[in-house]
Formats: sequence, C-alpha cells, structure tokens
Amino acid sequence: MDMQVSEIGGNVTCIRLTGRLDAPGAGSIDTRFTATVVAQARDAVIDLSGVSFVASMGIRLLIASARGLSLKGANMVLFGAQDLVYTALDQAALDQIIPIVATESEAIARLAG
Amino acid sequence: MGTAQLRLQLASDLSALEAARLAVLDFLLPHGPSARAVYAVELILEEVLSNQVKYAFSDGDAPGERPEPRIELTAWTELGNLMLQFEDGGVAFDPLQAEAPLPPTSIDVAPVGGLGVVLVRKFASSASYQRRAGRNCLTLGVALA
Repeated sequence: MDMQVSEIGGNVTCIRLTGRLDAPGAGSIDTRFTATVVAQARDAVIDLSGVSFVASMGIRLLIASARGLSLKGANMVLFGAQDLVYTALDQAALDQIIPIVATESEAIARLAG
Repeated sequence: MGTAQLRLQLASDLSALEAARLAVLDFLLPHGPSARAVYAVELILEEVLSNQVKYAFSDGDAPGERPEPRIELTAWTELGNLMLQFEDGGVAFDPLQAEAPLPPTSIDVAPVGGLGVVLVRKFASSASYQRRAGRNCLTLGVALA
C-alpha cells in the first residue's frame, strides 16, 4: 500500500492511495495516514482511484481518520473509487457518513459547499 | 459437490491469509469467474479468516485444554457457485447471527466494528452455519457469473 501526500489550494490535504486496502495494506499505512490526516486538522480529499480492493480494516481506517478530523472541525471526502471498491464502500453504508464522489474537482466542490 | 476440490489446513495466524488467498484464486480462476466474484471471494477470505484468527482461539479454554489453533478451508464449485467452507475447533460463534451494526447517522457516532460480517453477508450469494462435534462450520457461496 502506497500513499502520496500533497496540498491543494493551500488549505486541503490530498492523499492518493495505491494498492490493496485490506488488513495488511491498512496496517502498513495506518499510523502515517492517521497522523497526516488528523494532525493537520484541515479538510482532506482521499484519491481511491489506485485502490484495487478494500475490506473492513481499510474502511475502519477511513472512518477513524474522518472522525478524528471531524472532532477538529474539518471534513473528509473520498473520490475516484473503482466500481467494486465503490460497491464495498456502499454496502458498508460508508457514504452515509463520508461523502464519496467521482472526481477530484467534485471532492473539492463538496468541501467548499 | 464437484469432483475437484481444494482443501487447505491453515495455521491460525494472519500470515496464513495471503497463502490461502493465492491458493483459492489458483483454484478459482480456471472457472472463469467475473471480476465481482473474484472480489467477493477475496473479501470473504479476508473477513472470515481474520475473524477466526482473532477470536476463535482467544479465550474460554483453560491452559492445556485449548483446541489446536488450525483452520480448515475447503473450496469447490457447485451449480455456478464457488463454495467456501471454513471449519475451526475454537469457541462457538455464528457470524450469521451476529447483530449487524445500525446504519450510521453521523461520523461522530459511526461504529467501526462489525463491518466485516456486514460485507460478508452482502457479497455472499448463500450462507449457512453449523456447530457440529464441537467445531464451527461456516459455508458461504459466491456466484461465479
């Protein structure tokens, strides 16, 4: 599991994930992902287009980080999920608590809205 | 049950998951599964095996009386489905009766546990559980098409 961190517009953290977000994959980025997202305490967009598989441990990581961010008054939006990854996120009802949109520009717009 | 089947004996250890995943995929791919079927099989393997590793042998037995921490996995095809049967001699647990978490209403109160069972139920086309001779036996089907 690989993660690349960048900044969009000076006030949004963007994290691009690549690989399998299964138990080993989530475990390999857990500390760094949470530290990056939550410690910066500002809105974040997560690019899932390079994620080929997600299971419950990956979803837990997203929920825990989004919750930490929410406690600091900031939000997280997910975008770019491949079809089957989106299906898994949808079946877990993740879209009820973390917005999931198709593109990066939609994700930025959702944060602004 | 078809004539060909795959039988694996796995140590109750997270490192056994990857070997199981690769062996089941080797068995599955000649049957021409859809991408969704492959995803469902990988998801079920991850969720069920990691649950068994974490909980089946965790407590409830006095030292020296613990069952041998091994998981038996059998796979076969049947009527257009891949069937996966998981057996262990650990503490009784029927994941199909486990209470599913309520749909979350906000990020601040969303449960982070119980999602694995929810995903298994959603991705499996059939599911059954039996406790027999002191062993958990969970059988899940995944439509190949």
